[in-house]
Amino acid sequence: MSATVASRQRILDRILAASGDLPARNRIAGNPIMEEAPDPASPPGSYIRHGAMHREACLKLMTGRLQEYDAEVAESSPEQLPAAIAAQLAASGKHRFAAPDGLPAQWLAPGFDWKIDSGLAMDEIEQAEGVVTAAFCGVADSGTIVLHHSATEGRRLLTLLPDWHLCILRASQVVETLPEYFDRCQEPPARATFISGPSATADIEMTRIKGVHGPRFLHVILVRDES
Amino acid sequence: MSHAVPSRVVLDPRSAPPFPQAALSALRNPQLRKNVAHAIDVIQAKRAKVVGEKTDWQALRAAASAIRTNVLENLGAYLEEFEARCTAAGGTVHWAADAAEARRIILDLLCQEKASEVVKIKTMTSAEIQLNPALEAAGVSVFETDLAELILQLGEEEPSHIVVPALHVNRSQVREIFARRMGLKNLSDDPKELTNAARTYLRGKFLSIPTAISGSNFLIAETGSVAVVESEGNGRMCLTLPRTLITLAGIEKVLPRFQDLEVMLQVLARSATGERMNPYTSLWTGVTPGDGPQRFHVVLLDNGRSSILSRPKQRQTLKCIRCAACLNACPVYRQTGGHAYGSVYPGPIGAILTPQLMHMEHAQSLPYASSLCGACYEVCPVKINIPEVLLELRAQVVNQERQQAGRFFDPMYLGLRIASLLFARAWRFHAAHRLGRIGLRLFTRKDGWIHSLPGIGAKWTQTRDLRGLPGQSFHEWWATRGKEAK
Repeated sequence: MSATVASRQRILDRILAASGDLPARNRIAGNPIMEEAPDPASPPGSYIRHGAMHREACLKLMTGRLQEYDAEVAESSPEQLPAAIAAQLAASGKHRFAAPDGLPAQWLAPGFDWKIDSGLAMDEIEQAEGVVTAAFCGVADSGTIVLHHSATEGRRLLTLLPDWHLCILRASQVVETLPEYFDRCQEPPARATFISGPSATADIEMTRIKGVHGPRFLHVILVRDES
Repeated sequence: MSHAVPSRVVLDPRSAPPFPQAALSALRNPQLRKNVAHAIDVIQAKRAKVVGEKTDWQALRAAASAIRTNVLENLGAYLEEFEARCTAAGGTVHWAADAAEARRIILDLLCQEKASEVVKIKTMTSAEIQLNPALEAAGVSVFETDLAELILQLGEEEPSHIVVPALHVNRSQVREIFARRMGLKNLSDDPKELTNAARTYLRGKFLSIPTAISGSNFLIAETGSVAVVESEGNGRMCLTLPRTLITLAGIEKVLPRFQDLEVMLQVLARSATGERMNPYTSLWTGVTPGDGPQRFHVVLLDNGRSSILSRPKQRQTLKCIRCAACLNACPVYRQTGGHAYGSVYPGPIGAILTPQLMHMEHAQSLPYASSLCGACYEVCPVKINIPEVLLELRAQVVNQERQQAGRFFDPMYLGLRIASLLFARAWRFHAAHRLGRIGLRLFTRKDGWIHSLPGIGAKWTQTRDLRGLPGQSFHEWWATRGKEAK
C-alpha cells in the first residue's frame, strides 16, 4: 500500500511539473472545487443543446430510431397501458417474467409467472425469460433509452440477464437531443445505463449481429401521456 | 484453401522490427489486406453517414477538443477530485507509476481475492501493460469476453485495431479458431452462428467467475463515476455480476463533469463504429449495496503519460479518446493493417503515442509511418493535430540519431552537413552547382537523363531516372536574359 502512496505523490508531482508552462488562469489552486474550474461548463462552439422539432416529429424520430435498431415499438394511452403490457407479454410466448419491486402492480399482468426483484438470486433472474421495467429518459436523436436504476427501473443485472426486455417509456420522458437528457438530470446519477437497441456486435467482418450477451429482444411501449 | 491464421506477432515496441520491415509481410499477405480493407470500407461508410447528418459536427469537435484540453491543463486536480469522490462512494483508488507497478497492484488484489479466474472486458490499457501474460504466469486464468478479444485470445493472435481488434480475421478464420478451441466440429462460418457460439461459451463464465477486470472510457472527476462504452453486453456482465471489479485506467481518461458526456458520447460512437450511439454505455459510482460488485478498485496508470504531458507540442496526444477514426482514415493503415506498427496502439495515433510511451527509446520508425496527408487530423473528434506531432517526433528521432557517435560518417548526415555549409553562402552554392554540373555530365546520357549513379546516388537511380542538370542555372539564365532584353 505504501508503494502506491509513494507512486501517487510521484505521479502528481510529475503532472504538476509537466504542466508548469500552462497558463495560470487554467490552473486550479489548492483544494479542487468544481465551481472554481476554468469554466468547463460552457465549452466553446455552439453545438446544438436543444432540439427544434415538434413533439410529434420528435416521438416519431424516437420510434424510427428504435426500429432501426430492431427494437419493437408499440404505443398506448396511459389508460390502456396494463392491457398493452399484457398483449406484449402474451405475444412474446414467454411465461416467466422478472420485474423490479417498484413496478406498479397494475403492470404485472395476471396469468404470468412473476418474479419480483427484492434481492433475487442471480440464477432466479437468469431463469426469467423476460423483464418489464420503466425508464428514466429517451433520447430521440440516437434512439437511446437511459435507465437510472430506480425502483421502477430495477438494478442493473435485472435488465441484463433475461433475453427479452419490455421497457415502458412515457412520451413526456422523450427528449430530442442528448444534452436535453443531461438537463433533465437534477443531479448526476450514481448509476446509469444507456441502451441503444438490443445487444449487438460487428466484430466478425463488420456484420451487425443482434444479441450477444445482453437481451436479444428489446420491446418498447411508448405511453402517450402528453395531450 | 488454407485459412490458417498467420504465425503469432508480438506487439512489443521494444522488440518489434522497424515499421518498413514489419509492413512488408503485411503487404505480401493479400488475405490480410482484403480483410482490413473490407472492414475499413464498412466503418468509413457508416461514419460518413452518421457524421454527415450532424449539422453541428464541427462545433461538437471543438467542444470535445476544449474539454480534453482543459483536462490536460488541470490533470492533477481532476485526478485528486476523482479519487476523493470515488473513495467516498466506496471505491479504492490505486496509483501505478509504470506498467510493472500496475501489474503488481492487480496481482496483489487478485491474490487477496484468492482469484484463480477473471473475466475481462476489452481494454487496450491492459494490453499496453501486457497484463494477460503476467496473470497467466501467476496462475490466473483470463477469459476475454469481448467477441473480438475472444477470437484473438483463442486464436493466439494480437489485436490489430483499437476498436475492432480482430478486423484482420475473417469469418472462415474465426470458424476455424472456434471449432478448434471450443470443440465445435460442425460450426459454420455464418457470423450469427459464430456469435451464438461465443455467447454460449461465455455465459457460464459470467455467472460463475466472481472477479472482473475492465478498462474505462471516462472517469468523472465531479462524481467519482466511471463510464464504459460497449456493444455486446459483455461489459455490463463484467461490471454487474462479479463480486469484485478492478478497473484499469490511464490517468488521462478523466473528464471534469458528468455533463461533459453530452459531448463525448455524441462524438465517440459516431467516430468509432459509425453508430449514432453504441448499444450500451454503463456508468457507476463506487459501490452500491445490492447492485453490482461490492468491492471496487480503480488503478490509475501513468506509464509515460506524465512525460508526454511535459512536452507542449506533443501534449495533445493525451486528448485521445481511443475512437480509432484516425486508423480508419489512414491510407497507410489501410494497406498494412495494425500489426506492422508493433504496438497495441497502431495507426496514426499509435505512431505518435507508442514512441512517446516508450520515452522515444523504441518505435522510432513509427513517426515515419505516415504520408502526412492529414486525414487523421480531419476526422479526429478531439482535434489532435497528428501530422504536427509526427513532424515534431521525426525531428526528435533525427536529433537522437545524428548525435550517435557511429553516425558521424553516415552518408546521409555527412551529406546534410555539407549541404548546410553550401547553402549558407551564395558563392558556395553557385560554385557547388558548377562543380556538380561538370561531375554529373559524366553520368548524363544523350537523352538528357541519368540512368545510374554510383554510391549513395544509386539509391535514387535504382528505382527511377534523374534528369541531368541543364547547361545553365536559373540564376545564370535570369542574369543573361536581363542583358539581352536591353
